[in-house]
Amino acid sequence: MKKGLRGFTMLLTVIMLVSLLAACGGKNNNTPNATNNAGNATNSGGNSSESLEKDTITALLPPASANFQARFPEMEKEFNEMYPHLTLKIEPASWEDMTQKLDTQVNAGSPPDIAWVGSTAISKYAALDVLLDLNQVLSDEVKADYDEVPMKFFQLGDAQYGLPAYLAIHSIGGNKQFLEEAGIDYKAVQENGWTYDEFREAIKAGVVKDDKGNTSRYGFVFATSGVTSKDYLSIMAKSAGLPEYFDEDYKFTYTSKNFLGLLEAIRQMIDDGSMPKELSSIDAGKRWNMFLTGQTMITGKGLASFENSARLNNEKIKANDGSAVADSIEAEYIALPVPSFNGADYIPTAVVDGFIALRGKKEPSEAHLHNIGLAIHYLSSGSVAANFTNELFLSPVSESARNAEVLEVYPRSEENLKADEIMMSKAVAARTDIPTELAAEAIKIETEVIVPKLQALLADEISPQEMYDAVKAAAIKSFGEDGVVVD
Amino acid sequence: MALYNNNFKSKWALFVRNGLIIAFLVLFALATIFPIYFMLISSFGDPVEAGAMSYSLIPNKISFESYKFFFNFSPYSWDWLLNSLIVAACITVSNVIFATLAGYAFAKMKFKGKNILFAILLGSMMIPGQVTQVPLYILIVNIFELQNTYPALIMPSIVTVYNIFLVKQFMSSIPGEILEAAKIEGCSQPKIFWHIIAPLSKTVMAVLAILTFMAAWNDFFWPFLVTNTMDMQTIQVGLKNFRFANTTYFAPMMAGATISAVPMFILFFSLQKYFLEGVTVGAVKG
Amino acid sequence: MNQTLTKRRKLRLESDSGWGYAFIAVALIAFCLFTAYPVINAFMISLQEYRPLGSTYVGLENFKNSFTDELFWKAIKNTAVYTLLTVPINILISFLIAILIIPFKKRTQTVFKAIYYLPAVASGVAMAVVWLWIFDPLKSGIANQIVMFFGMENQNWLGSSATAMFSLVLMSWLSSHGTAIIIYLAALLGIDNSYYEAAEIDGATFLQKLWFIVIPFLKPTTLFLLVTGIIGSFQVFQNAYLMTGGGPDHATTMVGLLIFNNAFTYFEFGEAAAQSLVLAAIIAIVSFIQFKFLGKDIEY
Repeated sequence: MKKGLRGFTMLLTVIMLVSLLAACGGKNNNTPNATNNAGNATNSGGNSSESLEKDTITALLPPASANFQARFPEMEKEFNEMYPHLTLKIEPASWEDMTQKLDTQVNAGSPPDIAWVGSTAISKYAALDVLLDLNQVLSDEVKADYDEVPMKFFQLGDAQYGLPAYLAIHSIGGNKQFLEEAGIDYKAVQENGWTYDEFREAIKAGVVKDDKGNTSRYGFVFATSGVTSKDYLSIMAKSAGLPEYFDEDYKFTYTSKNFLGLLEAIRQMIDDGSMPKELSSIDAGKRWNMFLTGQTMITGKGLASFENSARLNNEKIKANDGSAVADSIEAEYIALPVPSFNGADYIPTAVVDGFIALRGKKEPSEAHLHNIGLAIHYLSSGSVAANFTNELFLSPVSESARNAEVLEVYPRSEENLKADEIMMSKAVAARTDIPTELAAEAIKIETEVIVPKLQALLADEISPQEMYDAVKAAAIKSFGEDGVVVD
Repeated sequence: MALYNNNFKSKWALFVRNGLIIAFLVLFALATIFPIYFMLISSFGDPVEAGAMSYSLIPNKISFESYKFFFNFSPYSWDWLLNSLIVAACITVSNVIFATLAGYAFAKMKFKGKNILFAILLGSMMIPGQVTQVPLYILIVNIFELQNTYPALIMPSIVTVYNIFLVKQFMSSIPGEILEAAKIEGCSQPKIFWHIIAPLSKTVMAVLAILTFMAAWNDFFWPFLVTNTMDMQTIQVGLKNFRFANTTYFAPMMAGATISAVPMFILFFSLQKYFLEGVTVGAVKG
Repeated sequence: MNQTLTKRRKLRLESDSGWGYAFIAVALIAFCLFTAYPVINAFMISLQEYRPLGSTYVGLENFKNSFTDELFWKAIKNTAVYTLLTVPINILISFLIAILIIPFKKRTQTVFKAIYYLPAVASGVAMAVVWLWIFDPLKSGIANQIVMFFGMENQNWLGSSATAMFSLVLMSWLSSHGTAIIIYLAALLGIDNSYYEAAEIDGATFLQKLWFIVIPFLKPTTLFLLVTGIIGSFQVFQNAYLMTGGGPDHATTMVGLLIFNNAFTYFEFGEAAAQSLVLAAIIAIVSFIQFKFLGKDIEY
């Protein structure tokens, strides 16, 4: 008994020690704990007699552009000045890990009110019923501020689950001097696009070999290592008659002849020697390095901001202070559209990122929903949007952002600007009618079959036909014989 | 005298043996140290995007621009370092105390359910973090409402099974006879722990301190999950902010990584003496 | 004599129960809150179709799905191969290095210890970037320069299924062993010089000392490194994810990656939990076998 008592006192001491230790953390963040919006105390409390109740809106945002995160405090302040009863609390999150944080919060039932996501993720969250439809809280005036195409990317069915921040075209980019040497009329391509056959000849002409017969410059290089191979395939598929995983009748499209045609073309470009046979392990950094060091004529994927990266490196080469990329040459970046395959129309890959509105375990009150609407519009339009799109060398997708002043002006090439505009004009609105279960199943096939098989195809371990058969078999298993396109 | 025979017939043979060993050690060291070397040289590069990174072994230019960039990038760069220091220090101290206590109990004391308890502890290590992460998040953030506080960062690692296991294994080689003798002389367990076990365990405690500090310092995901303002982030979370949508500020990130490695070095060298001379039973007795 | 001692010890120790619980109290409380609670939760989740706003009970469905999923077994196989190739060899390397550092003067020892500890502090990001660079598939790549020096063709290291797994294993061998080396060094310091002295009087050679003194004495440490190494290796996916994305054609898909995908890509939390428990059971069996063979604590 005595021993037991002693043990008990010991235990108590130890527990006290622990709590002391935990408390020595000090500096408890003393800001009001309203971040837990699942139980939004300020809203349900109703302790204020003012007509507009105080409310806090939380947002989880990544460093979308170079200075975006640095402006968070100003944004919070400005929003509070616009709506004195509202507080916007922005949680910063690093780019690549943000999804995991958001997903953990969503699964824990306490997500932020607003989060930055790519539009493709919408169906994933919609399947969990955690998205808020903003149709009722966004005025027609607000809705009219945004361009129609990007706006559609944040719709599912009739619901408007968020607002677009920007639309970026994933294209390819060439070295001006090499394009001219290979006799390619790049201006015409920028204006009219090109077919796969034209493209195939062009990248063949771009190959340069040294006296030993080794290739010193490839015609075309695309980052396909690891998970980036998904990018490669989907960007090409858009213009190969496979703009989406599903057609109008909700049949899975990657079982059509067009898919086989595309896979054959992908293999051909490597077999021609226009692309390196080691393509399957070229990562994003390597492909850009190869562009800057003149080891390839065309690189992919290309983004509008690459023009600036190339320009900065050129300046360093001129300054000759050793800060330029090792072995790099002066290169002028030319934005080019992806070729079209199988005689299909050119459809650019438009990536639309933006803000979605989320709910936790508790249903948000009407007032809170309204306030989320105000905050989400503030974030995705006006000067906030103008600045981050500007820093990414993109054009804004809302009228108010186009009219807003930007903090910095970057030089742009007229040719590329025009080419980008042409590509953007051809962007097609996202499908809003695909049921979430179908979308989820397609993502599973993509991750478990399409991407791994593509990696094997690029490594020359399976033939296009074998890959096609494998994808078809998986699709039939998931969607049934009637659920896939047969042609 | 020791594990190695150092009384060679000729000095020449000793020289050859040591030369060979050094050659092997250096060669292997070169292979493993390469990433650090790379981290260091790229931190002296200009703050450019990773896509424009140089793939070269010898830096073309030494510049401290990236270090300046790191500290100017965010007004919170110093906060990140301080937060990491506080969190890692608390976790280290608590682990050294409680894991040593628990490890000793599991290794050398006998009480009911000891083996079962230890098996359960060990078994829990085997469940991947991905599935326990959400429940843990619910506990800390939704139930305890501790988000964005030091306790939230510290508590889940206050004493880890890994460390208990480590101590237990080390203590198992302490001869039971000493403890017996002490007990026969009427020493209570706390006294035994304080006067016999603790002095004998300096080495393992130093190991524990270094490894725990390193793990806490390098931990990224948990601090990332439970902090939601820049001023509460730790250095590893802050470093990730150098990654933007399509670009990475590589050199400043490496500069940050280099800076963040410094405290671990200081700790290593300040605990260095415990790795040079072991504390053995003989030393205590003698 | 030994027998009587054991008897007496037993008697003595049994009266320490109270202190035993007191010594582990904090560890136990922390464990219950931050480990046991989430684990029990995970177990409950594995029986559900988990949805944050209301889950449905599905019984053993998730387990059934895991057991019938071909990819799951392939991933288990990949993980087992990776573990088998990395963990024992890494432990051997650490042991060798720890032993080889010992004969030098204190200053030399310090230098080597620091050098081997050093890479452990490198951030994972730096590691991945460097290794991607080393495994550059073009002829200019570092690894390719080496194999081409021996007259072989340049390899598509991470991109081809013949070499992808080997590349990951190689990366593990040549990565930092700082932690294991430090643990071994600390354990080596615990060996009393009197053992060596006694052995030397008997005229024992270096190898005999190694075999009869060092290796038995380090057994608990080796067991620790083996068990924790295997646990870590079975759960790891970061390297495979960053370097190969699991490809090509699932040649490097690890169970950890599948669990991650289920939890965060498909939001199939229940299935992720079920797979985790199956994985934990496998690790537990492997660990049990190790304890059976190595677990007998040495006594003097």
